Amino acid sequence: MEILTVIYLAYAFIALYFLFLFSLVYAQNKKDMLYYPKTKKIYSLDIVVPCYNEEDTIEATVKSLLSSNYKGLSKIYVVDDCSTDNSYSIIKKLAGKYNKVVALHTPKNTGKAANAKNYGAKFAKSELIGFTDADSFPEKDAISKAVGFFNNEKVAGVTTLILVKNRKKAIERLQSLEYKVIAFTRKLLGFLEAIYVTPGPMAIYRRKLFSKIGGFDEKNVTEDIEITWNLVSRGYKVEMSMASRILTVVPDNIKHWYRQRIRWNIGGIQTIRKYKHLFLKKGSLGSFILPFFVLSWVIGMVGLAILIYNFGRRIFVDYLSTLYSIKAQTAILTLREINLVPSVLSFYGIFLFILGLAFTVFVMSFIKEKDYKKEGILTLAGYTLFYLSAYPVILIASVYNYLKGKHSW
Amino acid sequence: MFNNPKRAFLEAFFLALVIFIIGFLIGVSFEDSRLNKINEYYTLSEISLMDSIALNRISDLKNISCDELINYDFEFADKIYDEALLLEKYEESGKITDSINAAHKRYDLLRTILWINVMKTREKFQRNFKTVIYNNNYNTKDLTERAQQIVWSRILFDLKQESGEKIILIPISVNNDITSLRLLVDGFKIRKYPAIIIDEKNIIYDLTSVEDIEKYLK
Repeated sequence: MEILTVIYLAYAFIALYFLFLFSLVYAQNKKDMLYYPKTKKIYSLDIVVPCYNEEDTIEATVKSLLSSNYKGLSKIYVVDDCSTDNSYSIIKKLAGKYNKVVALHTPKNTGKAANAKNYGAKFAKSELIGFTDADSFPEKDAISKAVGFFNNEKVAGVTTLILVKNRKKAIERLQSLEYKVIAFTRKLLGFLEAIYVTPGPMAIYRRKLFSKIGGFDEKNVTEDIEITWNLVSRGYKVEMSMASRILTVVPDNIKHWYRQRIRWNIGGIQTIRKYKHLFLKKGSLGSFILPFFVLSWVIGMVGLAILIYNFGRRIFVDYLSTLYSIKAQTAILTLREINLVPSVLSFYGIFLFILGLAFTVFVMSFIKEKDYKKEGILTLAGYTLFYLSAYPVILIASVYNYLKGKHSW
Repeated sequence: MFNNPKRAFLEAFFLALVIFIIGFLIGVSFEDSRLNKINEYYTLSEISLMDSIALNRISDLKNISCDELINYDFEFADKIYDEALLLEKYEESGKITDSINAAHKRYDLLRTILWINVMKTREKFQRNFKTVIYNNNYNTKDLTERAQQIVWSRILFDLKQESGEKIILIPISVNNDITSLRLLVDGFKIRKYPAIIIDEKNIIYDLTSVEDIEKYLK
């Protein structure tokens, strides 16, 4: 058996494994997917909103937080990181109008969300501290459905269901579907105590623990991944409230999308490096999250390398044979050369594609939305056939950028 | 919460393993069924070849029709040429087992015997039929050579379509470690592969069109 065949078979096995793992976890926990505990007490909660050049959305973000039905919400600290647009004057107006809103301004532009978040967190005095991006909009009951998880003393952080607000362009609809799949999978990972990120659009932490670990790591460009790993590595639990919905604005063009993804991956690399000493050690971080991250990245990159190698060879041979065929005035392609005899790899490929597609369709049907139509068949096709294929390409570009020392926002 | 996360990992592992093994076994059985089909063809071709060799020997003892013998070789060469095309497709799709490679080697040996038999027939009956022996490298890693062989196969296929009744076309892979074949082609002092031997007299190293061969077939 050729080495490439062995690699393909290993890929098929790993893909099968994760599909079965997620299916099994879902089957055993489907009743609890949307479950959220009722709060035993009203925890006081301050929310920090870091803001840089968000004049279009900051008011709506603050207003969505103000409309929350959670009674423990004390203050909303909106931290302007020296925006060059009109953001700060909007924040000040809001602070003047609403008692709960506090306008803050960093002494100089920090250039990173982590710094602005930490700056705002210094002012918080509550039991819980939440963070919301300045272009994200929690639904009215999002917070009240999340805080109940803190009844468990071991819970240090709670993440939420992040959905996409802007869905007009194809790139936005693709991300909308992607966010649903990510959220669904994150909830399933939660049942395995393996949540690896508490994303920026809305995350709540126990403030004492947040302070104890020194807040967000300001050197990391994905502080939301780092803080999760930090908490989990100390034996704390991170939960996900699938019933808490937050709408967020995603990049509306390829350039911004690409930059965002590069940043996510670079942050991932930084986090892996920081916690590499825990690899395969006891605890869910060392025994699952870290290996899961590393494995998925290695698989992505090796897979892409093999694809490029095979595709490159094929293109080269096709190019030469076409050239020779033209010279020889013979057919460029003959019917007899079209090979419709399937190989075992094509069977695995089709089987896995169908399973993956079924998983995505299931997620689409699971996350029901009143105000939005479901993503159409074109989005589904684009997502499964093309969008996912971009992951390893971006990953390689991220590694390249990381090695070149581009670690900033 | 999953009662025991470790159990989920193990259950998923065993489930994936079971499905993977089932898929693997189905794959093996698919490849085996193709191999069985090739083996059936091979057995029939082997019988035909033995028959042809026997006919050749009988002609030493008894006066039999020379045309009948030659026609038999033509038909047989056509048959194993078609089987070669089928074998090629099966080889491309065979990923798990290596048995199809062994089948290829056996076919190469069969084609070598056919070539020898055809040479003998021509010598014995002094008939002027044409033979085109296409020597190539099996599974070559050299991409330029692979592209060249693809085009040569197309040109020879065109030739077969145009003049199939007049020529005996035998494609043989020379890098299959068959001693008799090696000794046979060594006699032609072939410099490089792919190469085409026409009537054991002319060797073509640069094939650019059907006409390149046709000029030797007139």
